[in-house]
Parts: sequence; structure tokens; C-alpha cells
Amino acid sequence: MPGPLDGIKVLELTQIIAGPYCGVALADLGAEVVKLESPIGDASRKIGQFAPNESKAFHALNRGKRGLVLNLAMPDGQAAAHRLIADFDVFVTNVRPGVAERIGMDFETLRRHRPDLIYFEVTGYGDRGPSAHRAGSDIVVQAYSGLLAGDLKLDEHGAPEQITASAPSDYVAGLGGAMGICAALYHRERSGEGQRISTSLLGAGLALQSPWAADVPVSDAILIEPLRQTMSELRASGASYAEMIEARRSRPTQGKAFRIYYAGYPVQDGAIILGALTPQNRQQIRDALEITDDPIDDADFNAVGPEADAIADRVEAQIRTKLAGGTMAEWTARLDAAGAPASPVNWLEDMADDPQVVAMNLIRPTEHPISGPERLVGPLVEMSQTETGAARPAPPLDAETDVILQEHGFTLDEIADLRASGAIGADTEP
Amino acid sequence: MAGALDGIKVLEVTQIIAGPMCGVMLSDLGADVIKVESAAGDGMRLLGQIAPGESKGFHVFNRGKRGIVLNLQDADGQAVIQRLIGEMDVFLINARPGVPERLGIDYDSLRRHNPRLIYLENTAYGPTGPSAHRAGADIIAQAYSGLMAGDEKLDEHGGPDLITATTPADFVAAFTSTIAVCAALYHRERTGEGQKIDTSLLAGAMVLQNAFASRMPVSDSILLDPLLAGLAAVRERGGSYAELLGARGGIRALVGGAFLLYYGGYQTSDGAIMLGCVTPANRNQVRNALGLEAGDDPTDDGDFNAMAEGSAEVVARVRALITERFASDTTENWVDKLDQAGAPAAQVNIPEEMIDDPQVQALGIMVDLEHRLTGPETMVGPPFNMSATPPAAEGASPPLDGDTDEVLAQYGYSAEQIAALRSSGAVGLPAERG
Repeated sequence: MPGPLDGIKVLELTQIIAGPYCGVALADLGAEVVKLESPIGDASRKIGQFAPNESKAFHALNRGKRGLVLNLAMPDGQAAAHRLIADFDVFVTNVRPGVAERIGMDFETLRRHRPDLIYFEVTGYGDRGPSAHRAGSDIVVQAYSGLLAGDLKLDEHGAPEQITASAPSDYVAGLGGAMGICAALYHRERSGEGQRISTSLLGAGLALQSPWAADVPVSDAILIEPLRQTMSELRASGASYAEMIEARRSRPTQGKAFRIYYAGYPVQDGAIILGALTPQNRQQIRDALEITDDPIDDADFNAVGPEADAIADRVEAQIRTKLAGGTMAEWTARLDAAGAPASPVNWLEDMADDPQVVAMNLIRPTEHPISGPERLVGPLVEMSQTETGAARPAPPLDAETDVILQEHGFTLDEIADLRASGAIGADTEP
Repeated sequence: MAGALDGIKVLEVTQIIAGPMCGVMLSDLGADVIKVESAAGDGMRLLGQIAPGESKGFHVFNRGKRGIVLNLQDADGQAVIQRLIGEMDVFLINARPGVPERLGIDYDSLRRHNPRLIYLENTAYGPTGPSAHRAGADIIAQAYSGLMAGDEKLDEHGGPDLITATTPADFVAAFTSTIAVCAALYHRERTGEGQKIDTSLLAGAMVLQNAFASRMPVSDSILLDPLLAGLAAVRERGGSYAELLGARGGIRALVGGAFLLYYGGYQTSDGAIMLGCVTPANRNQVRNALGLEAGDDPTDDGDFNAMAEGSAEVVARVRALITERFASDTTENWVDKLDQAGAPAAQVNIPEEMIDDPQVQALGIMVDLEHRLTGPETMVGPPFNMSATPPAAEGASPPLDGDTDEVLAQYGYSAEQIAALRSSGAVGLPAERG
């Protein structure tokens, strides 16, 4: 069963995460993806290198692709790219703003060689505005977009700490690109027209905080305006980052009482998370924990009344004490039996062998030509009529340059000349 | 200019974030989206209510849609969906597993009325496997997937703390759902064939930790295997969550410490700054801007080995030096200097203040909308642009039962039929609330 993007050809000039992950998502949907690298390769090849130019991050974020090395600093390298692009449906890039123009890989140049091209570009801050040309990477734009301060983490020096688990702005920007490309392919199928799609890590960061970044005056008058006021006073007084985070942490919120059923608690052998958002789920948790005197879901309970916090603290202490008396497995089983949302807090390094992950086929085996057998996080979605999931491993640097150029009409002599001049091929022989 | 999905009709039976946000994005792309709610409404309407049944969260995750109320416990209510679905292209649902079958709105039931239908179902753990039928929510998927432990946060009681900034599993599931719907529309345009799409919060969370969750024996023997052995040893002696986090963090710091010198935050004289260097070139730009001399920082030298004895002390010494330099000047001055050097750096902003940020305003990310009940509001709009088919926010969220009569009339119900359905309770709110 072919994928929904079967037959679609994608050329990507990408690095690190945002662009490469977009390419993985398209490969999983059945597109044929060729990764174009400079002679030194994607910088993520060097982050945690375990063999020359090979790293775990590069393998995870470039599976399913074939690799091609062109020197786009040379006119001959650019000419080769322009000749190739005529055979491609989609171009993906996340180079710094201005770079695409300098190396002849901008939308206006490429569409001359392929008029219905779908061109996707991710930048840090977007393609216009005062910060358009600033350097950006996930963590920097996490900081700029408010995502990092929203995480409320401080290191032992009082400095902000990264959201260590992931690079959320990068992934969401890459996903946004895959979405735009699929929608643009649909539009092209109906109209014959290609187009340019652009997104930014900043836009992705804001999308992830849609409720917090939004301004709904009727709602914000109660909670957000006082917070904004406090923040600007703190700033005016020269307060430290730690003081600002503390102010935000202790901001007034609606319904602390409800937060105690949507929170984590230590248990004997680790920790457990409760995820109740409805009165029914909260009652299931009370039943499983044998808590009989919690009034917060009673019709006459006032969540913003003067007693509310004290009541919430009392119930929270009860939940805490109960949960501390059991293990992750015991509590998960009891809460599951009650129908309540709960989970042990797992370790991501264990997830490759988790029975649910295995049952859903979320991690799939592949064989890398240099490093051998690997298991990588697989496709985003399953589709009943079109297969998803690309089994091909990440490409070694420069491994298929010659083959790909031949497929697109370059002769062996032309390829040998380009290689001799340095217009194609890696800095070190593959 | 029309959107890329101009003319596409979407019906959604969704709640909270993952399903509703997919509907918002399809609407941004030009689809006509109708949200079906029960008389009680999406649970999100009650989280932080500003007026009866209206909350900021609901407004954000349901802008651009029309809203109808159907009683899907009632055969007449189910019949309305079955009649409407014949004219829809896409159906979205994120109910608990088994609920669609019980309500007669599962894929096999609906495709009988529309063979070309694209049906998307989002669940917490996915449709198969030992956890398929367990209850879920974003925070559950965060915990189950390892994302939360990866965040390494502890509350004052030694328990895990939320990733407070956002609901990452929900959002990624919404994005993946939208990608799949668009890909399925493309497939249908080429072949005429509809299909069912499955997404899960678990898969969304796994995507976010791609490299960490993957296994590569050649690479893992250096870092991951010792880490797993460390976790197992703490578990063996019944250690606490805090001790487990400590074991994981210690091993990661040993290998990643040098990288994190220039990929992390520092205090300045008036706040904080974040560095985001992932290349040696970027790290050198920062070293120059800070005035570090050759020899001050050997961590990018070819012969530096992060695992060697004494390396942790070298990294600590460099960190102290960088910390001291940043503390000597303001955030604004450091950001200027690093910008000029070409290095990625930014001040740490507060989410609630982003609406006034000049870059956000220049990009036009925020959109001004007018809600029928609560008036003007400004929301995060589509986070990307398309040159031929620009995405656009279609409007504010619907009040509960706000468009039921209009939508039913559009799809061929007479005024008498609508009145009869309303009085039987199959559509609309119960009389005492309506």
C-alpha cells in the first residue's frame, strides 16, 4: 500500500531539527525525500558523534531520506541544484534568513526552474519584522516566545533552565510545514498552482501557548492584567529573573482546587500523575483513594471563595498521604479500574521497550549502513488506505550523491568533473 | 484569495484541545468547520469560565467554527449526524475509545453514508495495545511517554511537576491530525478514496523526544546503557522519584555538560539571557562577545574528551567564567552584542506579554476577533503563511447551541423539522437552559 504522498519528490536543504523533521514527516507519508547537505554536512551530525559524521540525533531526524552533497557556495553547485529542482515537487529549507538568496536557493530563483514548486521555509523569527535577521535556535526562540518562562524552571544560579525534554518550537515548526505542504499539494492538484509557505519558531512557540498569549479582555481583567502589572513593576525595580519567576508562579489562578486532580505525586517507588479534568474523573479518583470529604465538586462550592485554598490544601494533603502509601503499579491498577486518567511517570530511555509503544509500532527497526541495527521513533499517524512510515535509515554523508545525480540526467563525465572541482561531494571522502 | 482547503466541509465531535485545535487549523486553511457538542458542551467551556459556558480556553481552541448541539444518546440526534455526514468531507473525533461505536458515529457507521469520508480519530494511547482503553489527558501522555521525567522538574514535595508552559502532547497530536487530513484529501483527490486516520497523544509525545527514545546500540553503549543501569540500580533499592531524576541527570551532565555551556540560560545584571548555540562557529561568536581568551575554554578543542577524568571540572570552571561575565551587564546590552556577533541569543519573555511584542506584531501572528457574547478578543492566529492560499482566522468561537438552527436549515431541514427535533431534545439545549 503506497503512502498518500506516493510519487512526490522532496528536496530539502535543512539542518538540526525543524527542517529535518518536516522531511521525516513527508517521508513517512510516502514522499521520496532527498537531503541536500554542504560538504561539511548538517551540524547535527557532529552533536554526540559516535562515528565520523554520524550521531544519534542525525539518525533519528533524517531517517527515510537519501543524501546528496552539493557545494552551493560554487556556481557549479548551484547550477546542479537548479537542474535537479525541475524534477522535484517540494523544496524545504531552514537556513538563516538571507542565505537562500545568497546561494540561489530562494523561492523566486527556484520557481523559474519549476513553476509549480511548493517551497517551504522555516526561520527563527519569521521573514519580516525587527528580529527577522537575528540568529535563532529552538531554545533561544523558546525564551523569546515566553515558552521558557512559562515552564517556571530555575537552575541553582537563578538562571532560566531549558525545557530539557525536547525542542518544542522546532518540532511544531516542522509539523506546521508538513501541514502546509500537504494542503499546498491538495491546492496544486485542484488548481495547478505552486506556492511559498513560511513559518517561524516564534510562530510555533506562540501556537503552543495559544491560551496564554491570547488577549480576551473579559477574562484577562481578573487574572492576566494584574500579572502584567506585577511584571512591569518588577522589571522597573530591577528585579532578578528568579524574583520574576516566583511572582509568576504565585500568580492568582482560577480554581486551585481543580489543580490537585491534575498534578503529580511521589509514590513509594517513583511518581504518579493524575489527569482529571471533569467532575466524573475527580470522583473516580476519590473512590479509588477512598476520599469521602472533598467538597470541591459540590454545587455550592465557591472555587474563588475565601475558604477555597485552605480546603484545596487539606484535600491535597490527603491525596498525597494516600498515594505515598503505595507503588506505581498498585495505584495505576486501582485508578485504571476506576476509569480515572492516571499514569506512572516513565523514563523516556525505557520507552523503546514499553508494551504500548511496541503494540502501536511507534518505534520501528531499521539498519544503518555504518552503525547497524537501530530502533527509531516512527510515523506520526496511521492511515487505513495509505501506508505511513519510512523504513530507510538516515543517509551517511555523500553516500548517494552520484546515484541521485545520475537519476536526474547527469552523465558520469559531468559527475566526475563536478567532483573534481569540489562543486559536489563531502570535504572528506565518504 | 481562498484558503487551500476552500470548499472542504468538516464536522467535529471534539473536546478539550487535541481535537478542537485540529479543527482550528483546518478552518485556518479555509475549511468550513462545524463543531458538534452535547447539551452540556465541551468540557473546556467550564475551565476558567468568564460567562456561562464561555472560557478563554474554549474561545482559543474553537475560533473559526460554527456550533451545533445534538443529543447523540438519542437515535434522532444520531440520525442528524448521519444525514449531515453525507455532505461532509472530513469527520474529527477525540472521544474515549469505544464511545464512537456506542453513539453510532464510528468509521464503519459513517462511511456507509459517505464512502469518500476522511475520518480522523484521536485517542490517548492509540486504537490497539494493552493501554488502548485507558483514560488519558495531555498530562497523562506527558507522564507515560517520558516527556515529563525528561523535563526533570520536582515540586517541593519531591513529586513531578507539570510542564506548565503548555500541553505538548495535545498540540502535536493536533498538528499531526491536520497533516494527515490534508494528506488524505490529496490522496482522495488523486484516487477518489476516503479513509480512517488514527493519531494518539502517546505518538505525539514520542515525536517530541525522537532522539532520546530511539535505540542505537553503537551510540547507546556510551551514554544510554550506563544511564539505564543507573536507573535500575536506584529502582532496585527502592529510591524515590527525586533520586531517580538525580541518577539520570548526573550521567547526562557528564556527557552533555560542555554542550550546555552555550545552550542554556544565564543571569544578567537585570534579568536573564538564553544562549542557543549548536555549532562551534556559534560558540566562538559567544566567546568573542564575552571577551574569553584563547585557552579560557578548551571544550571545542579537537582533543577535548567530555568523558575523560577532570573534564567535569573544566566545564565547571568555564561555566563560572561565563556566569561571571553575563552578570556584569544588562540583558539588552548582551543581546545587542551577541546579535552583532551573529550568535543565537534572546531575552526570556513572559507569555502573557507576547501580544505587544514588536516581532509578533510585524508577523501578524495575533488576530483580532469579535465574540458574539463576550466581545473583542485577540488570539494566536495561523502560525504560517502560504503565498497562493493564505491561511486566515475565520472568526471567534461559537456560543453553545449558537448555530444549530442555521446549520440544520443549510443542510435541508425545514423549520418544522427543526422545531420537532428541538422539542424532543434531540438537538439544542434542554428547555430550562436554552
